[in-house]
Amino acid sequence: MIRVEDLVVRYGAATALDGVSLTVAAGELVALIGPNGAGKSTLVNALAGLLRPAAGKIRVDGRLALVPEGRHLFTPLTVDDNLRLGAWRAKNRDTGHIYELLPELEPLSRRPAGRLSGGQQQMVALGRALMARPDVLVIDEMSLGLAPLVVRHLADNLRERHRDGLAVLLIEQNARLALELCTRAYVLEAGRIVAEGSAADLAGSPQVAAAYLGLEA
Amino acid sequence: MGELAQYLVTGVGIGCAYALTGSGLVVIYRVTRVVNFAQGSFSVFAALTVTTLLAAGLPHGFAETLAVLLAGVIGLIVGLVATGKPGTTAQSALIVTLGLGVFAYAVEILLWGDQPRSFDGIPGSVGGIQKHYLLIIGVTAVVLGATALLFARTDLGRALTATAADPYAARIVGIDVTRMGLLAFALGGALGGLAGVLITPVQQVSFDSDVALVVSGFSAAILGNLTRPGLTLAGGLLLGVVQTLVGGYLSTSYQSEVALIFMLAVLVARAGRRDVLEAA
Amino acid sequence: MKWAYLGVPVVAAVPLLLTPGQLTTFVLLGLSAMTVVGLSLLMGYAGQVSLGQASFTAIGAYTSGLLALHHTPPLLALAAAPIAAGLAAVVVGVPILRLRGHQLAFATLALQLILLSVLGDADWAGGAVGLQGLPYLSIGGFELDDDMDYAYVVLVGVLLVSLIAYHLVHSRVGRGLRALATGEAAAEASGVPVGAYRLLVFAVSAAFAGLAGGIYSFFLGYLAPGSFPVLLSIEYVVMAVVGGLGSVGGALLGAALVTVVVQLLTTLATQPGMPSYAPSVLSYAVYALLLIAVVLFVPRGIVPSLRKSP
Ligand SMILES: Nc1ncnc2c1ncn2[C@@H]1O[C@H](COP(=O)(O)OP(=O)(O)O)[C@@H](O)[C@H]1O
Ligand SMILES: [Mg+2]
Repeated sequence: MIRVEDLVVRYGAATALDGVSLTVAAGELVALIGPNGAGKSTLVNALAGLLRPAAGKIRVDGRLALVPEGRHLFTPLTVDDNLRLGAWRAKNRDTGHIYELLPELEPLSRRPAGRLSGGQQQMVALGRALMARPDVLVIDEMSLGLAPLVVRHLADNLRERHRDGLAVLLIEQNARLALELCTRAYVLEAGRIVAEGSAADLAGSPQVAAAYLGLEA
Repeated sequence: MGELAQYLVTGVGIGCAYALTGSGLVVIYRVTRVVNFAQGSFSVFAALTVTTLLAAGLPHGFAETLAVLLAGVIGLIVGLVATGKPGTTAQSALIVTLGLGVFAYAVEILLWGDQPRSFDGIPGSVGGIQKHYLLIIGVTAVVLGATALLFARTDLGRALTATAADPYAARIVGIDVTRMGLLAFALGGALGGLAGVLITPVQQVSFDSDVALVVSGFSAAILGNLTRPGLTLAGGLLLGVVQTLVGGYLSTSYQSEVALIFMLAVLVARAGRRDVLEAA
Repeated sequence: MKWAYLGVPVVAAVPLLLTPGQLTTFVLLGLSAMTVVGLSLLMGYAGQVSLGQASFTAIGAYTSGLLALHHTPPLLALAAAPIAAGLAAVVVGVPILRLRGHQLAFATLALQLILLSVLGDADWAGGAVGLQGLPYLSIGGFELDDDMDYAYVVLVGVLLVSLIAYHLVHSRVGRGLRALATGEAAAEASGVPVGAYRLLVFAVSAAFAGLAGGIYSFFLGYLAPGSFPVLLSIEYVVMAVVGGLGSVGGALLGAALVTVVVQLLTTLATQPGMPSYAPSVLSYAVYALLLIAVVLFVPRGIVPSLRKSP
């Protein structure tokens, strides 16, 4: 689905990604963890085609949709309008199937997105991305700023979408959640991949455990 | 009909032109963050074009429509020049539109000379009110209504609002932000052009009428901070009516100051409030 | 600044070489340059777009003109011009300098339109006809009555405003202003009195324009509201932007370049056989194209770009 090879992205003179390689296979759930400023969002924006790589290759097969960091809803528009715009490229803008997948959005459909709680907004952002009927979904900082219960609910939802065949690249500060949810994971630090492997292996690795899971090595 | 009623209708008619000009500024500003100083040029260009089309024998209605469409195309060109080059800031784009307004002077004088021009509107009057003012009011109501529907009820309108609200998110869902900006310029151009063709039968235009028009449009739009269409309409009508009343009951020499003083008062009052908010 | 020591004597010799027609252009160029030095400072250091700078030229011109007509000694009348313009700037600056970007641009434009309208209606200022029969400037009994004299008056004026601008830029105020131009919040945080400095630059730039206006009134001998159209303000902006904002050299070059190009084209356009509208069409086109080209392709203006590139 996603194949990134030796990707270099710069902001002016500053190098944010320095030779990053990563793959997400069809139907796979992959986590990308790493500290603040590591370059995770930069990778996301490069995948979405919003940043031009200085070097390296990005290949995306099928449709990619993005749930951006900070949600970035169209706050003056209603929930339903936000969802419709998620299908701007796809053209079929019927929102019915999203309300089936995320029933809690249905009663909110006429509300301006800016008036919702953080959790509700994240749901809308997820729904908006799903409107594109993607083959692979990239979620940047899914749990940031949300209550544990809401995060659990989002995670359950993601598992369901995954069962339906959706591939997911999940970017998370909450490494415990990411490793629990995903099968494979990458660790990005200062623009480079410093570790990769199965979620279980990484969770067992002393460095990862110390740095990201808050456990003593 | 009484004198006051006549003034009111005339004022609303003039105010409609301000509201249309202001709405053009708002549409462009919301989507692109560019304040388009060339907004008045759309009106002048369209109005002067009508004089030529009518002289060439085209019927009324057709000539005006064609001129408004041409103004839309010119809006698109202004947008291309002002925002087409990547990395152009809103401040630079503003100065570019200023330059384009001056460039319009060269083109207009070349094509139409520097003397004021006008053309006939709808002849006759009912109850002492020129029918043409009623036409202005009717057309403005229909067009601004349609514009509101475009924004509220169509996906294209939602995409324009989305671009205005969050360009980054708009790009994420695949909206071509640059194209939306150009579309806004085209729409703004057409609204400006419409203001010009509607007002010219009751107020002749010359190449440099654009300054007064853009200032009036800006004054109408400033009440809504250049982003609120409803307040822009209200502002335009208010200015038109107050101006006409001042001209009718006080003196025509204070007429032009009404919009200017209103604009300064709103700007300064708002800046004052912002300072207080920031201090708090 | 070193170039200036060389430049002054060279430029001082120029009027001697000019034809009478060119001498008039030279004087008008110098007057524009005086205003543009101030505007460039304002736009470059205080980050403000003024679309009404010609208001201050008008205030200066009318101050000198009215005083001279009411039998004030001409030199005194001239000295009053920058003071009146500067004071006017302080009065309007207190409320409007809180505005930014397009808001300030429209506010200054509105103020100029109001001023023009007031002058046009004011009997004491001669209404739309304006002031006529102004005396010549005289210094110590010596009457300045030909263009050559005014060429040197203007040269002194340009030198004066350039020196003031240069010293302002290189003073403590200037350093504060540079901080202001790069980031207002940062400047404010480091204790720069942002508001006061901005007002100071606004007043100084207005005083420069006012002085130019004062000289203008004596040079031409008549004034009317129509001598100071909005387009004149825009012309000043074109000159400032083309030369490069915040640079004295840029302001001088911008004024010279725009004036000379427009003058050359006007000469061309008034050849026999050219249509009567040719001069205005060409000059509008030049202002517009220069402004647009520089903003898009040389955003810092000519002089700063030349200086930075090796
Ligand atoms: N638009 C930008 N311009 C310049 N630098 C940026 C920009 N966005 C991010 N950076 C820098 O790039 C690096 C990576 O940032 P980011 O991708 O946002 O990290 P993460 O998402 O992992 O927290 C950081 O050092 C950040 O300061
Ligand atoms: Mg991030």
